Amino acid sequence: MRPDLRDPRFILLALAVALLVATFGAPVVQMTRPGYDLLAIVDITGSMNVRDYVAGGKPVSRLEKVKTALRDLIVALPCPSRVALGVFTERRPFLLFEPIDACANFSPLGGAIQAIDWRMAWEGDSRISAGLFRAVDMARELKTDLLFFTDGQEAPPLPASGGSVFEGRVGETHGLIVGTGGYELSPIPKFDDRGREVGFVAIDEVPHESRFGLPPKGAEQREGFNARNAPFGATAAVGVEHLSSVKEEYLRTLSEKTGLGYFHLDDNASLLDAYRAAGTEHDRDGSLDIRPFLGGLSAACLFAAFSVGPLSDRIARRRRPTRFAWKRQ
Amino acid sequence: MTLLDFDHPGVLLLAPVAVAPLLRSALRNSTAPSLECTPEDSLSEIVGVTLKFLGVAALLACLMGAAGPFFPGAEVERLSEGAQIVMLIDRSGSMNETFAGRSPSGGEESKAAAAKRILKTFVDSRLRDLVGVAAFSTSPMLVTPLSDHVDATKAAIDAIDRPGLDYTNIARGLTMALSMFRASDADHSRAILLISDGAGVIDPKIQDDLRADFRKTSVNLYWLFLRTEGSRGIYATSEGESESPQAAPERHLDLYFKSLGVPYRAFEAEGPKATEDALRQIDRLERHPIRYSERLPRRDLGGVFFSSALFAAFLLLLAKLAEVRLSPSRGAS
Repeated sequence: MRPDLRDPRFILLALAVALLVATFGAPVVQMTRPGYDLLAIVDITGSMNVRDYVAGGKPVSRLEKVKTALRDLIVALPCPSRVALGVFTERRPFLLFEPIDACANFSPLGGAIQAIDWRMAWEGDSRISAGLFRAVDMARELKTDLLFFTDGQEAPPLPASGGSVFEGRVGETHGLIVGTGGYELSPIPKFDDRGREVGFVAIDEVPHESRFGLPPKGAEQREGFNARNAPFGATAAVGVEHLSSVKEEYLRTLSEKTGLGYFHLDDNASLLDAYRAAGTEHDRDGSLDIRPFLGGLSAACLFAAFSVGPLSDRIARRRRPTRFAWKRQ
Repeated sequence: MTLLDFDHPGVLLLAPVAVAPLLRSALRNSTAPSLECTPEDSLSEIVGVTLKFLGVAALLACLMGAAGPFFPGAEVERLSEGAQIVMLIDRSGSMNETFAGRSPSGGEESKAAAAKRILKTFVDSRLRDLVGVAAFSTSPMLVTPLSDHVDATKAAIDAIDRPGLDYTNIARGLTMALSMFRASDADHSRAILLISDGAGVIDPKIQDDLRADFRKTSVNLYWLFLRTEGSRGIYATSEGESESPQAAPERHLDLYFKSLGVPYRAFEAEGPKATEDALRQIDRLERHPIRYSERLPRRDLGGVFFSSALFAAFLLLLAKLAEVRLSPSRGAS
């Protein structure tokens, strides 16, 4: 009575055993995985305190929103990724720490993001373009992508001749300018010198026009214009600089100048997808454990061995019809 | 408590397929003219049931092995020597100058670069510490919270020789550093390591608040004063007329620190060598028993499951090899 070696169930069982044996000798397969290096610079100027986002039914400030979004982005990054963090105010970014492995060091990284506060600001000015261009330089030096979170509100306003000039190479640094804030104008919270909130910035507390450089075109039409004594007109300009919304148009021109992408931070679009599209993928060495695949195949063979029974029996029966079939339990 | 965890828990959703061996057999059906032909045989019954359950076990073990089972690494609390240290680093513009007060040129090292190099060796030699980094100039900045992640701490120290900011506002920096200690682990030895190349006047209005905070947090304070050549030192007493905090901020800050009522030491370093010596002394002083948690690596259990699956499947294969035909068919085999 030889065993039937052509029985598919035997073949499947033997295959399952062979695959299980193979799991013990399976080599660790070396492969590359995508990872990202990024420098996140967060604008911490006054206008980032505007509460025009909503989370859990409550208004939250732009800064809080940015912190949540940045944290969520880092959580979702594929694992060999490195993140550096900095803050921006005045006219320059300030690097808090150089790139660190975001997976191994997530807890200090998360703590550092959580601790970002407008009170860190060493000056109140918000010269976005100057800060952005220096951040691009910093990212190039660190060999990372750049994520620049800002609402685009220049304070004080840019002179009529425009802001600073980008001297880097367009598109050399990849990344995104992340526009934060709503499209509607909202009041900017004001704080006293002990850091307590005391109402909102009033219309007469901020300059609405830069009076540096040459006057803008059409200044001659202004009331009280005098080419020598009052080239900007005699009355102070009144605008909406005491209110804030995301200056999308301006940020888009900056994104064109620098070659960075532009993304508006809201709940509808995924920052991760936008960053993946704009950022640079680095191939990192990783290893792949192939045992789960072998085990899965083996399980499939076992399952097949138990379930092809009726099928092969039927084939066998057709070959050799018998009247009394008794299934042996 | 370590619980079994899986890399690919989705695979476990396939577990219901493991009932297949209960419904069908991997063995061949035999034909017999009548059920009456088979004698009662309890051994056969046992073998039959065992084979069924072996099938279930093989399938389940296979699937669990494929799901990537492991015991997550537990955190074990150990006792060692160390401390909780907050490094409060001056990031004012003058830190980018050399000890001689010039912009660094050639092989010269700025104060920030020297501090960076020396602090990194300090961190490397004390891996059990919980270290946090805060920077201050006009305003304080929390860089990394207290953690035992040496890489993060070193990345934060790496950034300190970048161009600095405006002024030195020590009071706000100290408040930030004090707030970084968690109230929950008050029994740990705590230290603030203030690294600055200048001093500022602490507003008399907040001097008392700060003193109260220091007492409440019970920290040791170390002031590493990187003195620029020719500048006023901590211990320089000015002759006669202008003895005010504004005229000699270093000396008055030192006096204020001494009045805090917490263990305090000042180190005046006029070069990289002196800075290293000072840190070596601090290293010796800050050796107290500290509880730290060591993360044990996770234990992979794939092998365990695959070997039990292999055992069960092998027995099934043996059973399959041992099967015989009840009624030898004519011609087929």
